[in-house]
Amino acid sequence: MSNQVLNNTGAEVQIKSPVQQPLQGKRFPISQYIAYLFLTVLCVIWIIPVIFGITTSFRSQAEVVSTGFRLLPVNWILDNYVTILNNTSTAPILRWLVNSIFIATTHTALVIVIISITGYGYARMNFKGRDTLFFTLLGISFFPGVVNLIPSYKIIDAFGWVNTAWAMIIPGLAGMGNIFLVRQFMKGIPKDLDESAKVDGAGDFRIYFSVILPLIKPVLIVCGLFSFTGSWNDFLWPVIVYTDVDKMPVTAGLLLLQDIYGNYRLIGQLMGSAILAIIPTLLLFLFAQKYFVQSINLNAGIKG
Amino acid sequence: MNRKSFAPIFFVGPHFILFIIFICLPTIYGIYASFTKWNLINDPVWVGLDNYRTILSDTSSTFYTQFFNGLKNTLIFVGLSVPILIALPLMIAVALEHKQVKLKGFIQAVLYIPGLISISAAALIWLLIFNKQLGITGNVFGSETVWAANQPYAWIIIIVITVWGGVGGNMIIYRASISGVSKELYESAEMDGAGPIRRFTSITLPSIRFPLIYTFVMTTAGAFNVFGQPLMMTDGGPRQSTTVLMMYIRQLAFGHGESIAGMASAMAVLLGLVILVISALQYYVMNRNAS
Repeated sequence: MSNQVLNNTGAEVQIKSPVQQPLQGKRFPISQYIAYLFLTVLCVIWIIPVIFGITTSFRSQAEVVSTGFRLLPVNWILDNYVTILNNTSTAPILRWLVNSIFIATTHTALVIVIISITGYGYARMNFKGRDTLFFTLLGISFFPGVVNLIPSYKIIDAFGWVNTAWAMIIPGLAGMGNIFLVRQFMKGIPKDLDESAKVDGAGDFRIYFSVILPLIKPVLIVCGLFSFTGSWNDFLWPVIVYTDVDKMPVTAGLLLLQDIYGNYRLIGQLMGSAILAIIPTLLLFLFAQKYFVQSINLNAGIKG
Repeated sequence: MNRKSFAPIFFVGPHFILFIIFICLPTIYGIYASFTKWNLINDPVWVGLDNYRTILSDTSSTFYTQFFNGLKNTLIFVGLSVPILIALPLMIAVALEHKQVKLKGFIQAVLYIPGLISISAAALIWLLIFNKQLGITGNVFGSETVWAANQPYAWIIIIVITVWGGVGGNMIIYRASISGVSKELYESAEMDGAGPIRRFTSITLPSIRFPLIYTFVMTTAGAFNVFGQPLMMTDGGPRQSTTVLMMYIRQLAFGHGESIAGMASAMAVLLGLVILVISALQYYVMNRNAS
């Protein structure tokens, strides 16, 4: 095998490989074992809570209390899930999940529309003060968000959106981060494409829809995924905006659970609820892993 | 011609309106409110610098105590979490660069997934792990302490859940940057007899300087906004030793009883200023040292 490589790739490799060979023999194993050990220990620590949470949700309260810490249940039972799914008054978890799905999906869809049209405006159109406006908004958006938290509540209240899904769907659409990414991405698309479409008589809407939109799919998918998971996992804002148990998303609902199933008197139910809240984003990750992981390649500025 | 001049409004306008309503207006109003007495219901009443004076210098006031306790705890959180959230992902990224390490995708997924779990779900699971009777600390390691109610354990569990959920994002940034570093640099350094540590300090680190600055600034700013972890894990205890500034701000503005939103806004502005100053300082210092 190695001979073949040597013969095919020529002189450069031939010079290097005699030096590399002994080095690999000496140095790689030790640092490689350290790397392996380090990664294995981390993976075990990282994965145990999730497995522990899942398996505990299939154990009875009596078993948890009597046997203490065990990774696998003695008897696998579904009772916890039956109980939490049947609770529709104090902790309606199905309701919360539906709320979260509605909020995160609608928010994501609107994010994609807004960032693609706004990105098109700032990247591909010519109007007076375009870049000044863009960088002014970008600059303002760097101001720490903690300052606008309390007035944001007041504004939501003025719209009558407290305890409604809109409180979580709309305000996040104002952000600049995704628009910045889309604008950067669009700037990389050759102008000739627009020009030739214009020659054919296409207007801006036409160019946006049939030329640009298909080309920016990757960046839209990434922004969409992060908008979805961000919305799903948002915590501070829903804790402030929702007091109505039937209207809240699942993250805010789980905060209530600590009191309802409190102090780990009903451990299986607590774990079951937590697991149900994790499943949607986990599924999303499993199906779209490559977009999550490659997301960073879109942002040349960060990658350096 | 006319159509051309109106078209940008359709594209840029909707977001511009949203930006004004949900970012500009609340930011300006938030600064204004910090100079007022306000209960979120009636109109704010201008009080000048009174809120700031109370918070910063009236030692007999609870707002003074709350602000400085909250700021201290926030700084402790930043100081404990940020170095780990930079160093650990960097170590993982370097370890994953090893040619012979298998299952890279799997390892990366395992370390990344907790970042997609909401703090409230994660906390329910981690609190069980740290539960004295039922968890791992009690059963496997024989700890007799209630971790959430005693220091330094309360900080430890807050940091553990933060690191658990936080390494994935930076890890991916570092991996992408390191894989972009020219392999020839490493090979020629290896030929010159540079060991793994030397190669890391003189090739890897300088090559990924911009992602390092970026993650450092962003992770720090994020850490200053900490809220969910202490709320869920310790509820600010024991004796308010983990109550961070965001918890006080929320409590004053949206807690039980009459809202003290003016005071809360002043605290929010002060926290915002701290974040701005520290971000600018980090950027300035790191950029200068790097070049």
